[in-house]
Amino acid sequence: MGNPANRNVSPMFGSFGRQGAGLYVHIPFCSAICPYCDFAVTVGAPPRREAFVRDLLREVALWREWREPFDTVYFGGGTPSLLGADQLLLLLDAVRTHLPVRGDARIFFEANPEDVTHETVSAWRRLGVHTLSLGVQSFDDRELRFLGRRHDASHARAAVRECVAAGFDTMSLDLIFGLPGQSADTLRASLDTAVALGPDHVSCYQLTVHEGTAFGRRRARGRLVEMPEDEQAERYALIHDVLARGGWRAYEVSNFAREPRHRSRHNMKYWRHLPYLGLGPSAHSFDGARRWWNHRGIEAYRAALDGGERPVAGSERLAREDLALEALMFGMRTVVGIDLRDFHRRFGVDIAARNRRFVDDCLESGLLERAGDRLMPSATGLAVADALAARLEL
Amino acid sequence: MHSGTGGCDSLPRVPARQPRLVDHVRNFCIIAHIDHGKSTLADRLIQACGAVEERQFRDQVLDDMDIERERGITIKSNSVSLDYRARDGELHQLNLIDTPGHVDFSHEVRRSLMACEGALVVVDATQGVEAQTVANLYLALEHDLELLPVINKIDLPAADVERVREEIDQDLGLDPFDAIPVSAKQGLGIDEVLEGIVTHLPPPRGERKAPLKALVFDARYDAYRGVVLYVRVVDGRLASGDRVRFMHTGREYEVHEVGLNRLRREESRGLDAGAVGYVITGIKTIRDVSIGDTLTHAREPAQAPLPGYKPARPVVFSSIYPMSSREYEDLSAAMEKLALNDAALVYQKDSSAALGFGFRCGFLGLLHLDVVQERLRREFDLSLILSAPSVLYRVQLRDGEKVDIDNPAYWPEPGAIESVEEPYIRASILLPEKHLGAAMELCREHRAATLGTGYLARGRLEVSAEMPLAEVLFDFYDKLKTVTRGYGSFDYEPLDYRPAEVVKVDILVHHEKVDALAFLAHREKARARALHYCGQLEQSIPRQQFKIPIQGAIGAEIIARSTINPFRKDVTAKCYGGDVTRKRKLLERQKKGKARMKLVGSVEIPQEAFVSVLRTERGR
Repeated sequence: MGNPANRNVSPMFGSFGRQGAGLYVHIPFCSAICPYCDFAVTVGAPPRREAFVRDLLREVALWREWREPFDTVYFGGGTPSLLGADQLLLLLDAVRTHLPVRGDARIFFEANPEDVTHETVSAWRRLGVHTLSLGVQSFDDRELRFLGRRHDASHARAAVRECVAAGFDTMSLDLIFGLPGQSADTLRASLDTAVALGPDHVSCYQLTVHEGTAFGRRRARGRLVEMPEDEQAERYALIHDVLARGGWRAYEVSNFAREPRHRSRHNMKYWRHLPYLGLGPSAHSFDGARRWWNHRGIEAYRAALDGGERPVAGSERLAREDLALEALMFGMRTVVGIDLRDFHRRFGVDIAARNRRFVDDCLESGLLERAGDRLMPSATGLAVADALAARLEL
Repeated sequence: MHSGTGGCDSLPRVPARQPRLVDHVRNFCIIAHIDHGKSTLADRLIQACGAVEERQFRDQVLDDMDIERERGITIKSNSVSLDYRARDGELHQLNLIDTPGHVDFSHEVRRSLMACEGALVVVDATQGVEAQTVANLYLALEHDLELLPVINKIDLPAADVERVREEIDQDLGLDPFDAIPVSAKQGLGIDEVLEGIVTHLPPPRGERKAPLKALVFDARYDAYRGVVLYVRVVDGRLASGDRVRFMHTGREYEVHEVGLNRLRREESRGLDAGAVGYVITGIKTIRDVSIGDTLTHAREPAQAPLPGYKPARPVVFSSIYPMSSREYEDLSAAMEKLALNDAALVYQKDSSAALGFGFRCGFLGLLHLDVVQERLRREFDLSLILSAPSVLYRVQLRDGEKVDIDNPAYWPEPGAIESVEEPYIRASILLPEKHLGAAMELCREHRAATLGTGYLARGRLEVSAEMPLAEVLFDFYDKLKTVTRGYGSFDYEPLDYRPAEVVKVDILVHHEKVDALAFLAHREKARARALHYCGQLEQSIPRQQFKIPIQGAIGAEIIARSTINPFRKDVTAKCYGGDVTRKRKLLERQKKGKARMKLVGSVEIPQEAFVSVLRTERGR
């Protein structure tokens, strides 16, 4: 394995223009593990968090050779809001010191409602957080209990109000839909509440039951039945409908923004093959040709750092056809779709010509739309983005 | 050990003895319904005559194809010469000529019968007389064969010898007191059968001095010797070195070798009138042999060939495609190999927009089709898709031209057709009386005109009917078995061509014709079959990105319809840094899975959908 941990990172980013790289920092701690979550998370008491921050600082220092300037820094998890302001400041200072973080880089920060207070929010503002992403998930108490969340609906509303009032550049909230038995009415109620609270950005995720999670085990025992596909599709359409009327436009399968500037500049790097560096357990990185990932377990992650090495667990070199397939997949998931001319230039495939009949049928049935050289999914197309990507031949 | 008369050249060839007198020769065959024990009886006779060592013995020596063995039927006839010392002390030569046990091969049956003077009529002591027993009996009577009834399986608890005697008397019109009870399985009564052959069946009559007339009743391809002909010398004498002519085809060859079949070939100096044996002439391919033809001497030819020659004509047609188009070359090689020994199999290259290259094949009947596809699957390990079987239609065009069409791809525009004729058969159905109503209903459904109903013994009936051959191509057998609770049996023979209103039905998936699914049908039947197709496709085509209409159409007229609803939600919620690689790999796997799909327009149809539609239609 050509380990990127041991090589100078000097990818060719000329074509990315003004767009910089993204820096992701994974904070794996949660106060409790949500039954649906399959991320690299752990319940960590304050001393463990302290130790972990020191690990992160060591990892940051190992990437001093990274050259591509970062214009986003994203604290995700887990629950970054479990860290104290002092710890966050330490981390921000470190990345600014050791890594090429641009002065105008946007800071993204994920928080849970139970961690939101006037004080914490003020602290995050002072730290320079531009986009605050709040893990609300639902404004329905029953749904919140089902999801194993530690907040209730009134707490969620209060937290959103606090964050909106704090005047972040972009205030975002996360919702989960498609819970077993979730009615259109309860979903609509949550959406209406969200709209009324006036965030700039909404991420609305279909509940996915993963093996190895508590929900996965419940499903295996027959005690959890996922929402049927047709209902999922109806709920998904409802979300688009309610949010669109409230002024939020979908720009990706699960993401809606009030204005284009509220779109997640960081997440869009993943979907445009822009470079990103991931720090912390399980974090993934990409330099334009190679993708690598850190150890998932915090112990293995730490052991590598103890040995003075980057905690990289594996990597892959992406051949042109791998990149093409990913670009196709991203294109079907985002409303910008695929620039056919650009795609042809990058990968030598004329998607529209290669799939003429299928594309025509998709245009006719309204799954895809065409504007000049751009082929993009409609809202109903986004709902079947995976199938479209699987079906389009390269 | 691979048994059979051909291809055992590694064994030493012993000069064959021939009986001094033609009076000591008996040429006979065994006729029986499927499963009544014909092959087992043949094995016992062979064993009893010492033609095969006990330790070499493998049950059912004559059936040397797995499929024949499995289905308990004999497809390719074969012959064997047995030495039997009768109770009078005289050595006799018993030539057992095996006959195919199925009506698809009735022309082969006829040829085998023509080589014989007598036949054993085997009836299962538990089942009694069945349709094929009767059908073959009629054939045997047509050829003036002397008949000896044998009641087999008397060892079984359900055996009812007296009842079967009664049926032999009433249904077959044979003397029940001649019937020999046996258990071929246990070897009981075998000596009585051998003695019965000698005493009941006549020796051949033939003029040794007359010009040569030898009936070619079978042929096998031998990798070392070329084509080996199996002949019955009717008149004259055939010897190696002779220059012979096929009287129907006119081809001439020199005889390299003649001899007897004793499970392996035994060379002899000549074959006299009355003899059954083999001839090797250096013919390279079985296609050059016309089974049923008469061999005569090129110098002193006979005046006229033996009567009853009918070249084998395919009556059922289907296209065979490899499941994966990469297997076309393999299929091509396999077809060639099969055809080496199956002169009745005709095929030519065919291509389908949906299924790629394949072969349009002609078969003697449905069983023949089944046997060929089974052999392709098992012996050549091929996965196949077969188009719906069709009969051969005679089409009179408006412009005066007449065309024979079996392939929907070549069906003329309806406006160009003056009239159409379809092949009819005479069907004979034997069944218990209590199922008559259901069977008559089934006949009506299948456009059969009942000619008559005759009472056989003990509440059994024979229904004879005329019906279109096309009506038995699909599920007639199975339905008959169902409505008679397994007690009905069925046989048929080709009859003639009659006017019919035949239409071509196109199957459209997402408004696109799927050529491999088009079929020809009687107008009355078109809608039901089209609905069946639509329903099957609806179940076997996975949902796609958009709504897929499936239609059956005659020209522009839609006669059947179903719809595959699209999937509406197929996307994972998250695709961030850590999800990309996993998602891409999933996508790669999905795309690989799609390699097994056939693309019709923009719709992906799994090969399995073709298989299931076409298989379930036949109800097999």
